[in-house]
Amino acid sequence: MEAIKNALDFSDFPRVDLMVAGAVSIALVVFPIFPHSSFAMSTMIQFLMFSLYGMGWNTIGGYGGQVDLGKAQYVGIGAYTTAVMLIRWDIPFWFSMPIGVCLSVGWSFIIGYPLFRLKGHYFAIATIATSLVLKDIFEVWGFVGAARGLEISPIEFPPPDFMRLIFREDIYYFYVILVFFFIGILYINWFRKSRLGFQLRSIKDNEDVARSLGINVHWAKIKTYAIATAFVSMVGSFHACYVRSIEPEDTMSLDISIMIALMAMLGGAGSLWGPIIGAGILIPLKSYLKDWLGAQAGLVGIDLILYAIIIMLISAFEPRGVWGIVEKIRRRKRN
Amino acid sequence: MAFLEIHNLTKDFGGLRANNNISFTVEQDELVGLIGPNGAGKTTLFNCISGLHTITSGQIIFDGEDITALKAHEVAQRGLARTFQVYVAAGDLTVIENVMVGCFMKARSRSRAKAHALEILKNMAIEDLSDYLVSELPVAAQKRVTMATAIGSAPKLLLLDEVAAGLNPNEIEGIMASIRHIHEQMGITIILIEHVMELVMKISHRLIVLDYGEKIAEGDPETISKSPLVIKAYLGERYAKEHNLS
Repeated sequence: MEAIKNALDFSDFPRVDLMVAGAVSIALVVFPIFPHSSFAMSTMIQFLMFSLYGMGWNTIGGYGGQVDLGKAQYVGIGAYTTAVMLIRWDIPFWFSMPIGVCLSVGWSFIIGYPLFRLKGHYFAIATIATSLVLKDIFEVWGFVGAARGLEISPIEFPPPDFMRLIFREDIYYFYVILVFFFIGILYINWFRKSRLGFQLRSIKDNEDVARSLGINVHWAKIKTYAIATAFVSMVGSFHACYVRSIEPEDTMSLDISIMIALMAMLGGAGSLWGPIIGAGILIPLKSYLKDWLGAQAGLVGIDLILYAIIIMLISAFEPRGVWGIVEKIRRRKRN
Repeated sequence: MAFLEIHNLTKDFGGLRANNNISFTVEQDELVGLIGPNGAGKTTLFNCISGLHTITSGQIIFDGEDITALKAHEVAQRGLARTFQVYVAAGDLTVIENVMVGCFMKARSRSRAKAHALEILKNMAIEDLSDYLVSELPVAAQKRVTMATAIGSAPKLLLLDEVAAGLNPNEIEGIMASIRHIHEQMGITIILIEHVMELVMKISHRLIVLDYGEKIAEGDPETISKSPLVIKAYLGERYAKEHNLS
């Protein structure tokens, strides 16, 4: 009961935040009613998906300060679970998605246990490694289509099909992911105020102090890692139904892992709005830059250069991202 | 059986023996000072007791239970809290959030943790700081916050590591009042490491003196302040000789 109350309680934010958040929410809900290009629509869906990835990452990476660069492996597990189950056994999305979450979380416990014996950069490198190893396995594993990947054929599964989440128009996907998005925000709003959330912030601050306050640091990290994983896996399942064609290269590559971490870091790691702001800046920038400069001017890889520049700017000037700047200004005004 | 018993505690870091065969006991409701020159192994001893270091040999018994092999968070859960000497809160936690982290050890729900934290802040007379970031506060207030955080975990024994270091005489008076308050009003047994002699001599019931990792003396403040061994440890061999102390 109190958990629900906490999830719905945003009263510790300044009124400006809530007004902006409300306006953005309304804009998101009514957006499809207005005329828009299919490109804008797909960018919007990408934005919501990456916001959710970022929110998940933000639990362990932002509140917990554990830079995880291996989230793509869980996108993969989620996406593949849904695709394989649908194609092989005709199990619809709403059943395969929770199963995918279970598999991802199970895997996250298995690798999280040894991973969290590592700290700092070593942890980050190890997460990259596990993700890449899993991708390599999927690339040679015939059961999941190896390097060719899997395709959900619209002939075999004719749209519209809510249970299997197969639609012809993007607008349906948009509203499904939008619901996930709002639930995600409520969840994180609860999480940041929960016992685990507090323990995690204490761990980020100083692990020895956290220990001396009775916090089982290793276990708290593993639990949070599983929460982050559940978010990513859920969206991964959605991704499979949305793009309908998945292969290891585009669901589990290092790019995806870095993008996920970057969303949260650019927007503001360890804050509720951070990942959303980050995704709101990066995703449109990325798709439009790719479209204009990549396709029209032939500058391939411009988005990668952009990521690199952003990473350098964040680490040099404001490690807490855009939201860090906002908070700094606010504190200066207050004091 | 005493409240806290340390039996022949030894801690090695590679070839360096930081604590050598230390034994002492602390009774419930005592306020014990732990003193000694820099590098005497005081903080190491705290780290050993609170479970952050695994000890090389010896035994630690707290409240009738052998806690020698327990991990730090398990020791804390049994009611043994501590503060840290160099604790710069660089994080984004406000004062009340910091204290809530401590309270969350026992409290399962946020509302209960918050209520308890508020109560502690009021009790320590720092409730007006509750919405500041810890890093924004002056050192004296930060030290109080770290004490309040430790108290949040509802300890039976509190280890205070140099809470008066770097404070001016006025602030030391304030901290001393806080320590007394914790000890007398909240009924928490305290061991404190302190270099500020006017504080530790005034406040402690009993002193334990470490030098080069060994316990060299133990007794009430009066006796300790006159003990030749202690004076030698602090002021050096030559001073002691010149004043015919040894």
